Amino acid sequence: MAITRMKALLRSLPRPRQNEVPDSGVLRADFADPDELLAAVRFIRSKGLKVYDTYTPFPVHGMDEALEEPASRLPWVTGIMGLLGCTGAAALQYWTSVVDYPVVIGGKPLNSVPAFLPLLFELTVLIGGLGTVATFLLLSRMRPRMRTRNLHKGANDDRFILVAELGRGTTFETLSLELRGMGALETERLIQDARIKPCRCHWERELPLPKALGIALVPPVLILGAGIALNRDFRHRVPEWDAGMLAPTAAQAYDPSPVLAHGQVIQAPLEGTVARGAERPLTFAPGEAEALRAGLELRSPLPADEANLARGKVVWNRTCATCHGDGAKGDGGVIPRFPNPPNLLVQKYCDYPEGRIFHVATFGGPQKIMKGLEDLIPAPDRWRAVMYLKTLQAEAVKARAAAPAPAAATVPAPAAAPSSPAPAPAPSPAALPGAKP
Amino acid sequence: MHEAHPAPLIEGNKTYKQVTEEVFRPTESRPPKAWFFAIAVTLSMLSLGGWAIFNTLTRGIGTWGLNKTVGWAFDITNFVFWVGIGHAGTLISAILFLFRQHWRTSINRAAEAMTIFAVMCAGLFPIIHMGRPWVGHWALPLPNTRGPLWVNFRSPLLWDVFAISTYFTVSAVFWYIGLIPDLATQRDRAPEGSTKKRILSIASLGWNGSNKRWSRYETVYGLLAGLATPLVVSVHTIVSWDFATSVIPGWHATLFPPYFVAGAVFSGFAMVLSLMIVARKVMDFEEYITKAHLEAMAKVLLLTGMIVSFAYATEFFIAWYSGNQYERYVFLNRATGPFKWAFWTMVSCNVITPHFLWSKKVRTTPWILFILSIFVNIGMWFERFVIIVTSLHRDFLPSSWAMYKPTWIEVATLMGSFGLFLTLFLIFCRVLPMIAASEVKGVLKHGDH
Repeated sequence: MAITRMKALLRSLPRPRQNEVPDSGVLRADFADPDELLAAVRFIRSKGLKVYDTYTPFPVHGMDEALEEPASRLPWVTGIMGLLGCTGAAALQYWTSVVDYPVVIGGKPLNSVPAFLPLLFELTVLIGGLGTVATFLLLSRMRPRMRTRNLHKGANDDRFILVAELGRGTTFETLSLELRGMGALETERLIQDARIKPCRCHWERELPLPKALGIALVPPVLILGAGIALNRDFRHRVPEWDAGMLAPTAAQAYDPSPVLAHGQVIQAPLEGTVARGAERPLTFAPGEAEALRAGLELRSPLPADEANLARGKVVWNRTCATCHGDGAKGDGGVIPRFPNPPNLLVQKYCDYPEGRIFHVATFGGPQKIMKGLEDLIPAPDRWRAVMYLKTLQAEAVKARAAAPAPAAATVPAPAAAPSSPAPAPAPSPAALPGAKP
Repeated sequence: MHEAHPAPLIEGNKTYKQVTEEVFRPTESRPPKAWFFAIAVTLSMLSLGGWAIFNTLTRGIGTWGLNKTVGWAFDITNFVFWVGIGHAGTLISAILFLFRQHWRTSINRAAEAMTIFAVMCAGLFPIIHMGRPWVGHWALPLPNTRGPLWVNFRSPLLWDVFAISTYFTVSAVFWYIGLIPDLATQRDRAPEGSTKKRILSIASLGWNGSNKRWSRYETVYGLLAGLATPLVVSVHTIVSWDFATSVIPGWHATLFPPYFVAGAVFSGFAMVLSLMIVARKVMDFEEYITKAHLEAMAKVLLLTGMIVSFAYATEFFIAWYSGNQYERYVFLNRATGPFKWAFWTMVSCNVITPHFLWSKKVRTTPWILFILSIFVNIGMWFERFVIIVTSLHRDFLPSSWAMYKPTWIEVATLMGSFGLFLTLFLIFCRVLPMIAASEVKGVLKHGDH
């Protein structure tokens, strides 16, 4: 009774198209061995009957030929998708590195093809692989689903199942017996089994490959398009950043400087700038008061040893002796023309402390006839010359003390006094030498 | 290629039903006590690593022992170590498939799972070694409002981003595609109406064993294997270029790509051996992962170990032959300097250990193989450490020379990565079939079809 009800129900379903399902129904046969299944399939095919499909726990080799399945065109998909990935990667790298955000890195050209190759390869593989899998799933109508269609018991375990048509000239019973002889464990006749829906058989109405490929490409294109179209900010350039990167403000070697007058690039150093490596400036100023202070405060930084005095002699003879004379008596080579300095061996000058003499050597004489030698003779050499002068003066003092001439005690003192202020105005060359002792 | 196997691939003369029952038993029964102890240990390691990473992220890279001279140490060592381990899985899955080596069917599922977990562990390190991982997405060429700023496509560090992402994605997809028939089997065995059946129904994508699907499936599998093979070589080549494209003596060598790829296969197979020897014993899979399988893997280990030894010798020879004083010093320093303990560990583990595998007795004795594989793992970790740290710590300018000492946080992070890897692997063993049942059934009777 249940069968009658079921038959009525099934007859009320929409009828399949004429050439797809034979009137006699469908046969299912279960085998325990893949070779037996293959032989059975070949047998049925040899009878001119159609084998709709086989269901096995693993792919049986030779079945594709037995079922005359055309070779899959999926490798083409891999190739196309891979090419897409490759060109996509090339476009991405080229556009970002050459057009949109060019930055010279390591002196390499902007279109650094060798550097771009790794990504070309990786994206070929990625898009090729994912595209192939997506197309495969689409083609095979595989998707997450709660009810598996056309699932035969044991197909994923240990049974090898075929589903074939029962055509004219064969009855179910005959074929069934023949198959049992070939090793079939079970045969079943399916008329319009709920598990097989002929007009929507997945093997009858497959998705053609170009359509499947197109569907597989829709999501990436949509995402890309949406990304570009919706993300307006991405097309809005940030000018401050751009100006900084595209037009750097670093100056070239011969560009005029916009900062200094006349576009000059170099300025003179400021007043009071001390050259690197130069000696520290003297903490005394020119002038009489400062000269006196130097006499009180300044001491020679060098010891008065043989080497320094020898050097001092060299400096004296080279520079100072021209005017002052080798013996500091004021009888140098240019005398009597100019400038006629006083005899530095008189007691007045012997009493001058070395600091005061150094002040004169640095800034010039009190009458401003002698020029300061600060910029011509380095300070250590100046000190050595001063120390040498001091030794000359010491000798003179000793000589005077050892040979006290009757007029010698008083003559130098008054003679020294007028000789200092006397040369202040322009000295007359005739008068002075005579006045000097 | 017609391959005749003298011994059956799977021992015990099994029927298809037996294969189904035995392979899926671990996924359908409660794990034994030992599993709970094991996962307790690995979860502890993982949480230790989690604490260490939390510290690194919140307190900064200063919690590591890096300095200006040694800017990369444990972080990149661990990264390269895990990526290398991942490569064995793809080699077993893809390359051995292309070479029609049917013995791969017992181990390829577990090996691919190992690859995915290893690449997950590897990917962790470049992320946490960034000063600001929360802007890590700046490493991707996404349209942005920062100029727009684009990434530097000429940098190997960026190639790494793409290579590792591609490798992870393709490996995961390949693994999943391989899983579908077994998920279908699991689904069919699950009790009606259970959550397990619901989840598996969704995951198995309606697989019913139809030949039309199988034929396309085989095509896809072959295509993915063909894509994955050059991918494996390219990924570790790109990783080696992180070093080779620099100017540091000891790094700037054209030998690096093949050296690293061979080293990756070497360390990966050692890890597969370590895992499989334990798993086959514990899960009663000795008839599936037979001594013949272990022997085959041992032979690969021997071959790649010799390649790695040859690479070491080449490095030393070229350093001397080049006459470059800096290159010569780097290698002198490796062997005699402050890190010589690491160097000699590496050499003894990687150069000497494989030669025990010349003996068939050793190759077919699992416990010896296990010990040797552990040594190789240790040696390969030290190889990456030696390459990175000794080349950095003394390069051109002696005034820049510095020493490196890892902090506890770095050591804990390493342990945490092992914890992550082993936890995931333990879970995998009990949730998914560790052996590719459909593939094994396919080679049960006809090893050469």
